[in-house]
Amino acid sequence: MNNDIGELRKPEIRGPDRSPDRTGSIITAKDFSVYYWKKAAVSEVSFDIPARQVTAIIGPSGCGKSTFLRAINRMNDLIPGCTTSGLLSLGGQDLYSSKVDVVSLRKMVGMVFQKPNPFPKSIFDNVAYGPRIHGARDRGALSNIVRRSLERAALWDEVKGRLSDNALGLSGGQQQRLCIARAIAVEPKILLMDEPASALDPQSTSRIEDLIGELRREYTIVIVTHNMQQAARVSDMTAFFYEGDLIEFGETTQIFTNPTEKRTEDYITGRFG
Amino acid sequence: MPDVIKTADSERLRDGLLMSKGALRMQSVGALAGRSILIAIASSSLIAILFIFYFIIRDALPFFQIEGIREFLTSTRWYPSREEAEFGALAIFFGSALVTLGAVVVAVPMGVLAALCLSDILPFSIRQVVKPVIEMLAAIPSVVYGFFALVVFAPLMQERGGSMLAAGAWIIFAPLAVLATAVLSDLLSSRLDGKARLVSQIVSVALVGGLFLAGLLRMHGFLVGLTIVSGTNALNVSIILGIMALPTIVSVSEDALNAVGRDLREGSYALGATRAETLLRVVVPAARSGIMAAVILGVMRAIGETMVVWMASGNAARIPGPWFNFLEPIRTLTATIAGDMGEADHVTGSARYHVLFVMALCLLMFAFISNLASEIILRRARKRGSV
Amino acid sequence: MLDGSFSTVGVIAIVLMFISLVILLGPIFARGFGAFVFKGTVEYRKLMLDKFGRGDRERIIAEVAGAAKTREPVYELMEQFRVELKEKDYDYRSRYGQPFKELEELVEDLFGPAPGSSMPVLVRGQYGQTRWDRANVKLGNILFIEEYDYSDSSKMGELVLVPRADLFAGTSLEPLFRLLESDIEKMMRPRTTVYWRFLFDGSYDSHFFGGIWPELLGTFYLAIGAMLFAVPLGVITAIYLAEYAGDSRFVSLLRTCISSLAGVPSIVFGLFGLAFFINAIHVSPSKSVLAGSFTLALLVLPTVIRASEEAIKAVPRSYKEGAMSLGAGKWRTVVTVILPAALPGILTSIIISLGRAAGETAPIIFTAAVSVGKPLALWETMSQPTPALPWNIYNLATEHEAVDEIRHVQYGMVVTLIVLVLLLNITAIVLRARISKKLRG
Repeated sequence: MNNDIGELRKPEIRGPDRSPDRTGSIITAKDFSVYYWKKAAVSEVSFDIPARQVTAIIGPSGCGKSTFLRAINRMNDLIPGCTTSGLLSLGGQDLYSSKVDVVSLRKMVGMVFQKPNPFPKSIFDNVAYGPRIHGARDRGALSNIVRRSLERAALWDEVKGRLSDNALGLSGGQQQRLCIARAIAVEPKILLMDEPASALDPQSTSRIEDLIGELRREYTIVIVTHNMQQAARVSDMTAFFYEGDLIEFGETTQIFTNPTEKRTEDYITGRFG
Repeated sequence: MPDVIKTADSERLRDGLLMSKGALRMQSVGALAGRSILIAIASSSLIAILFIFYFIIRDALPFFQIEGIREFLTSTRWYPSREEAEFGALAIFFGSALVTLGAVVVAVPMGVLAALCLSDILPFSIRQVVKPVIEMLAAIPSVVYGFFALVVFAPLMQERGGSMLAAGAWIIFAPLAVLATAVLSDLLSSRLDGKARLVSQIVSVALVGGLFLAGLLRMHGFLVGLTIVSGTNALNVSIILGIMALPTIVSVSEDALNAVGRDLREGSYALGATRAETLLRVVVPAARSGIMAAVILGVMRAIGETMVVWMASGNAARIPGPWFNFLEPIRTLTATIAGDMGEADHVTGSARYHVLFVMALCLLMFAFISNLASEIILRRARKRGSV
Repeated sequence: MLDGSFSTVGVIAIVLMFISLVILLGPIFARGFGAFVFKGTVEYRKLMLDKFGRGDRERIIAEVAGAAKTREPVYELMEQFRVELKEKDYDYRSRYGQPFKELEELVEDLFGPAPGSSMPVLVRGQYGQTRWDRANVKLGNILFIEEYDYSDSSKMGELVLVPRADLFAGTSLEPLFRLLESDIEKMMRPRTTVYWRFLFDGSYDSHFFGGIWPELLGTFYLAIGAMLFAVPLGVITAIYLAEYAGDSRFVSLLRTCISSLAGVPSIVFGLFGLAFFINAIHVSPSKSVLAGSFTLALLVLPTVIRASEEAIKAVPRSYKEGAMSLGAGKWRTVVTVILPAALPGILTSIIISLGRAAGETAPIIFTAAVSVGKPLALWETMSQPTPALPWNIYNLATEHEAVDEIRHVQYGMVVTLIVLVLLLNITAIVLRARISKKLRG
């Protein structure tokens, strides 16, 4: 699987997969806002993110796209002074209800960060970290999970001989794929990716993009990127954020070929950002 | 693949997200308990400080009831073990103050200069070597300093006191004199231009330098003629305490100097100032409060030190005559506590026992107040720096 | 000009710092070495055989006999003079009686008890000088009398050495001094000795002979005991401060308390330990290792807290986010990711604090330290006081009855303590360098 991925190029713009089984939405935002100390970083956005598709969120830096992404698995909870209003739901459940178990939520919504952040542990322990937290103890089962996750992240062949090596010894691209493996090891439904390739070289970037293409069969993927070619390459749907507002949301082909909003067009054509 | 998020599917999703009421309560109780335990443990230093104050005060108060405070603070007669005990601690307070003063004189100029050197003058590679040396000076146990002061330094001082002092004075004052000459001549001729400036500089260097040289030579003559009766005296202790306070002063003031932003320095250089001018007129004033805090911390280190003064100060509870005579033995608060408690703790409850707690209380208060002062100074500096 | 002189002065300040370190450590290392490697006399080997059962028995007995043989003429001369004294008149006796007695004592000091005389009770009296350097000092005392010359009234008395032989000029004792001077090596048989067991031997007759094991062990107990209490408290406090505490009033109060605790003079800790741990809550009936460890723990607590907090704060945020995003709770994140990543830094702080606890004297004076004691078994630390290196350095250097006789032991202890503390610190420095390299790379 690994060997042919490098050469396999996806078409420049891929239309949304319109097969009928892919139309249900999984995440719904309705008048959803995020504030830092009363200042709105995301203000009253409303849109539905479809299941098992790749949704890209684009926009200039500081537009609130990362904040929105991190609101989905409530990573913003860590930031002091961060509050929300409106509705953000997953499978119909309000995520900011007091009854929501954040641990289960994060198990269900995996995340990959801008900079690869493997723990300073062995490769095995990195991938096994999530399953262990959620109660897996059996060594055999764990190695199965680790192997499967690494395979799905297209990293297995490269590291299978040195699972006990420190993960920090891997290259940047490998580290990022390890992080993806780590995220999918807990069997999430959704994968959030916060500019997953921005710290990587072009070759590693293309491998990550290919990987996203593979993973969309099984996961709902939300990816934040400021690289518009990347958004166009990997996503089915695209949302354009600008200064905390959602300007436009639609199929990627439509956004990139025929945006309805002037600002979207300006951004995509490189007038600003 | 059965990929549709059907209603049933989405319900499963929702159930996965939610917690039962019981679990919810368990979680919040658990979080509360965990947090309380954490805070309780984290408060251990707060509790320790409170307990230290309480127990020292508790054992100090009886002294005031038995003896009152007047004699303690005004008399210099310290005879706690006599039949008619006398508890005049003035000389002991004086001793502590004297050696601390001595230590400051030794450590502050050297420490601040070394810090300047480390932060602005020396190349990075040398700094990497100097830092461990400072750390080693800080790491050496105080009893080792005390042992050195008593066994090596004191006999040396007693036998070759005069010439040693003279050598020390040359080492310390000669560079200072050179520096002062340079600064003064620079100041004197800063108004002039061109050739006049050069001439004025040469003349003033010769004049001021000659003055300093004469002073130094006189001092040399005076010091060489000195005889030192006992090597265990205030000077010995001051020098050793100064060396012990050095690491604190160097590292804290170096931090302060480093905190002065590079842009400030570069701004000064951009205006055509030399390095020395930049340091004296820009960097040091900007780091003033940090250096101040460093000095306070150094003073605390010197005044709270026990072993060196106990071993090498001579432990004579009287004010030297004249008061600045560093060559006489003195006695400090810390050494008195350490030395007298051995005998006094058999007589728990006596004034002799409690007076030591009064001394400890004085030390504690001093340390506490200085610490607060240094912290306030540093905090204010930080605030100003960030604005 | 200003620039140059300014730099020079700064460099001089730093050079002075170097010099003080060298002046401080130089003599201590040079002389401390003498506790481990020195020229031991035949008396040393006899002592080692008698008290520790070390050495080749036959050979040492033969050697002692050989030395005794060379000493025989000395004793013969003295016996002869003793007889002479008895026979001569009163004048003669009053002239030589006292000096001879003095001489007899000095010879006993050098060679140990004369053959046939009764054995003294104290171990120090049972042997002659075990170290060649001390033997030479004693020999000097026999050969010369120290007198002070006060003829110049403007100066203090000047030391003058008067040959003792002059005192006995013309008597039958006169050849004794030449004999001693020329044959001392045969009589004492100095040989270079490596006494590494100095570290692990108990002491005989309050440190006259033997090693420093009780002190070394006591120092280990105290320092490690202190860390047992300080590390959990300190690290947990650091976790709280770094990960949980916000910017509340309570937290800033807590920080003030920590820095105040760091500023409390060590002797005050000692008094507090006495007043609280021993007199108020009675952790032990009187001084004990336990009480001392508690006191030392308070002393190093601020150091542990500060350094650990720094280490924890240096852990990249991304590790925390990674763990959280996988569903790890806060505590879980701290325990499984942050602490392991901060471990080298925390370890550095622990090592430095360990050195600090090992070297502190003032806090243990009233809570844990005694001058003479046996090495303690582990369970005895709960109730028994112990000798400890820092305290015994003080004690041997100031309060011991024969301070000058046991300089080598004092220096040996000081060197042991310094090496211990510096090794710990160097380990910490190396560890820190490796961490910062890792963080940079």
